[in-house]
Amino acid sequence: MGWYYLGGVTMFFFIVQVITGVLLLMYYQPGEATAYESIRFLTTKVPFGWLIRSVHSWSAHLMIISLVLHMFSTMMLKAYRPPREVTWVSGYLLFMLTLGFGFSGYLLPWNKLAYFATTVGTNIVKGVPLLGDWLLEVMRGGPDVSINTLYRFFAGHVVILPLAFVGLIGLHLLVIQRQGMAPPLGKKVAPRGMKFFPSFALRDLLLWFACLVILLSLAVFLPYGPGIPGMDWELGDKADPFAPAYPGIKPEWYFLWEYQLLKEFPPHLFGLEGPQVCLFLIAIMFGIWGLIPWLDKRARRDQSSPAFSDLAWAAILFLTYLTLLGWDIGAGKAIDDPAALHHAARVCAWWTLAAGLVVIVVRWVRFHHRWYLLSLAALLQVALHGLFGISYLLGGLIAVLLAAVGIVAGMVVRPKPVGAA
Amino acid sequence: MRTSLALFVTLLAVSFAAAAPNPKLAEMLAAKDESGKPIVGPDEQKYYNGLNDNVRELLNQAVQNENITRPEHLAALLSLQLRSQKMELLLQNNCILCHSDSANHSADTLFALNPSSTDKPSHMNLREIVEDVHFERGISCAGCHGGDPTAPLGHDHVKEWPEKDRATNREWVVAFCARCHSDPARMHDFNPALPTDQLAKYKDSPHGETLLEKHDSRAAQCVSCHGVHGIRPAKDPQSKVYAQRVPETCGACHADAKIMAGFTRADGSPLPVTQLAEYRTSVHGKALARGDLGAPRCNTCHGNHAATPPGVAGVSRSCSLCHSANASLFDGSKHKQAFDKHNWPECGMCHGNHAIAKTNDSMLSTAKGGLCGDCHREFSKDNPDCIATADYFHQTITQIDGAKEKFQASAEKLASKGLDVEQINNQLTEITDGLRKSRTHIHSFSRDTFQQVAAPALQAAQNTEALVVKAREEYNFRQFWLALSIGVIGVFMLAIYLKLRAMEKDKR
Repeated sequence: MGWYYLGGVTMFFFIVQVITGVLLLMYYQPGEATAYESIRFLTTKVPFGWLIRSVHSWSAHLMIISLVLHMFSTMMLKAYRPPREVTWVSGYLLFMLTLGFGFSGYLLPWNKLAYFATTVGTNIVKGVPLLGDWLLEVMRGGPDVSINTLYRFFAGHVVILPLAFVGLIGLHLLVIQRQGMAPPLGKKVAPRGMKFFPSFALRDLLLWFACLVILLSLAVFLPYGPGIPGMDWELGDKADPFAPAYPGIKPEWYFLWEYQLLKEFPPHLFGLEGPQVCLFLIAIMFGIWGLIPWLDKRARRDQSSPAFSDLAWAAILFLTYLTLLGWDIGAGKAIDDPAALHHAARVCAWWTLAAGLVVIVVRWVRFHHRWYLLSLAALLQVALHGLFGISYLLGGLIAVLLAAVGIVAGMVVRPKPVGAA
Repeated sequence: MRTSLALFVTLLAVSFAAAAPNPKLAEMLAAKDESGKPIVGPDEQKYYNGLNDNVRELLNQAVQNENITRPEHLAALLSLQLRSQKMELLLQNNCILCHSDSANHSADTLFALNPSSTDKPSHMNLREIVEDVHFERGISCAGCHGGDPTAPLGHDHVKEWPEKDRATNREWVVAFCARCHSDPARMHDFNPALPTDQLAKYKDSPHGETLLEKHDSRAAQCVSCHGVHGIRPAKDPQSKVYAQRVPETCGACHADAKIMAGFTRADGSPLPVTQLAEYRTSVHGKALARGDLGAPRCNTCHGNHAATPPGVAGVSRSCSLCHSANASLFDGSKHKQAFDKHNWPECGMCHGNHAIAKTNDSMLSTAKGGLCGDCHREFSKDNPDCIATADYFHQTITQIDGAKEKFQASAEKLASKGLDVEQINNQLTEITDGLRKSRTHIHSFSRDTFQQVAAPALQAAQNTEALVVKAREEYNFRQFWLALSIGVIGVFMLAIYLKLRAMEKDKR
């Protein structure tokens, strides 16, 4: 039942973002000589300025966490099935916009970390075939990250993205209000048939207050974040385009999996640039994710679709392993030493395999799932790469081929897979 | 047209002929040993193939003139992997060509190839001689040994070279090197920047006096420090006189009790042999060892060719070359007159000479065992003013140092709680700066002068204390308001919860 409230929680964090964002705007001055200085002034001199910035940053991360949980819970409960395709697609687009908010907001303090992380981050679009260089220039407002980049990221962060976001949220809420909450598979109405007002709204409000308590506690006790790479917003030094980039720059935690996937690709593949192939693959994955309401034919017929539940779990395991690798878990400080990286891959693999095993056992015992082909393929890739030292791509290829063989064999032996989602 | 074509073909043939090995050389390059393994290995073959036409032609000539007769000899020369300019010099030098063939020479006169070889005289190392600064500038064997390096054979030794006892009586070495190094006109042809007064300085040094006046050949002369073959410029890290190698070069004699036996100081006491070991434990020795080429070594205080003990007055002058602020303050102090009266070395009296240890604030202590206290009890009859001043210095510096340590820890702790510590860090910089200056201004031995730099540091410590208290209050304030906010929110949550329960009840 708790899954039904995650959308509301995300909404709460968005409202906090709007309020704190407006308060930050009262002091923030974009510009080469003012952006960093105004944030510094805000956090050190303005009463409660540090709290506003801290709440804004924490709320951004918590919003992404709740949004990801909301998206995966929707996926597991098959809440995207007709007539709720528009809800899924609008939610999917809201997720994209949220990532855009995170990426554009990161540069605004104009500090050293943000500058180099944005340089690395924007460089990725270079991999887009044909348009890469042009897109990069449009994004940066020149060949390099400069104050022009800051101006356009600022415009995007405070005007373009919020306008698009509010419009999409309106659509998202409208269709939810019109269609109601999605009932579980095989049922016609949502559990307990609760009225939105006052029953659901009061429960939502209770949860919002709980979120507010968590948010305030984190913001007061850890005003610059938990201090882990990709989740740290200490201002540090001002951006200096002439300073050398320092090692170990990481993007925000929710971009780590993409960053790591790009690192796993060789410079050239199939006669194309490695990053181009990687971006193509990521685009395909995102494309499939957006089209799931139409691809999941069984759910469309209101039948259980264990393959798509397993696809969601496989995606979670895939993202978990790449994120842990991106974090260099187990590598210590020797991030450039191949032996340390190999050790790190082993540590990350064991963690992911352990998590995968727990998930499978829980699904088997608690939910009586019997369809694990895709999760097992994801875990096989993790084991091949992390434990046996096979290249990530080759491991992935072997896992995908075996999964494909398994699916075809399953269709031949048992035309209708047995199990519940 | 036909003529041009003929000329082109001829030029092509000539250039091809120049580049190609003659049959003898080709035979040597292809030769194999008894086990069928090529004598000229793949690395040497690769090196040969990369040589320019001129060097190849010189190799052809050397083979043609029978200066290279065996493939083993050819392989040895190619294994040097010299850059082409050096190889050209080597191949035009019949002395080296002949003395590098093991078939012609015994160990005493053969240039060995293996630098780690211990069964050959160390100065007969071929790899070293091709690195020699003289060899590089075209002054090869004949420059010192005489003869004609282009002649097939010749051992026409120079006249300055004593026929007898030249290994035991080394006085000739100085004059021998000075033939060129004291001649400005001659040196101008090779290195105009190099001074030509080394001999004059050397003659006035204790080394020179011992060798030239007392005729004691244990005294260091040119080759003792610079080597024989393989002399490199002082800036070359492999040179025996490179900054980091100077202590071990000087120590080769000065740390050897056998060599130094019988040598005495001006006061007649035996010259110690502990300087090198002491220097290595000193702050200067450690700095040099970790790669600080600005750190003083033997010649920084003693000089090079005119190496001499600095003497009582000279010690402080040597130190003041680097420690100018301390020296200047000391020169204006009461201690200067007192030390002069006792004829004490100024800096060395408290800090020592070769074994200068890292200074410690406890040196200022007036208690027994403290430097100030012990000295003043013995020589100043416990003058209460002096004792009070020393105590003041010691207490103030300890206080500033303690404040620095304490507030650095506080700043780190506050920063970890997310508080802004920029102002605290600014004040800490003031304290650190003041502490450094205060330690320097002790050398004035004046309370007023010391206070000028210590007072701002003490003030900064007070400011920091206030800032730390303020930051702690801010942290408590944050916690209080958070708790209050959570309390208020909790009341709202409880009210909502009760309302929901009431609604559930009504529904039932």
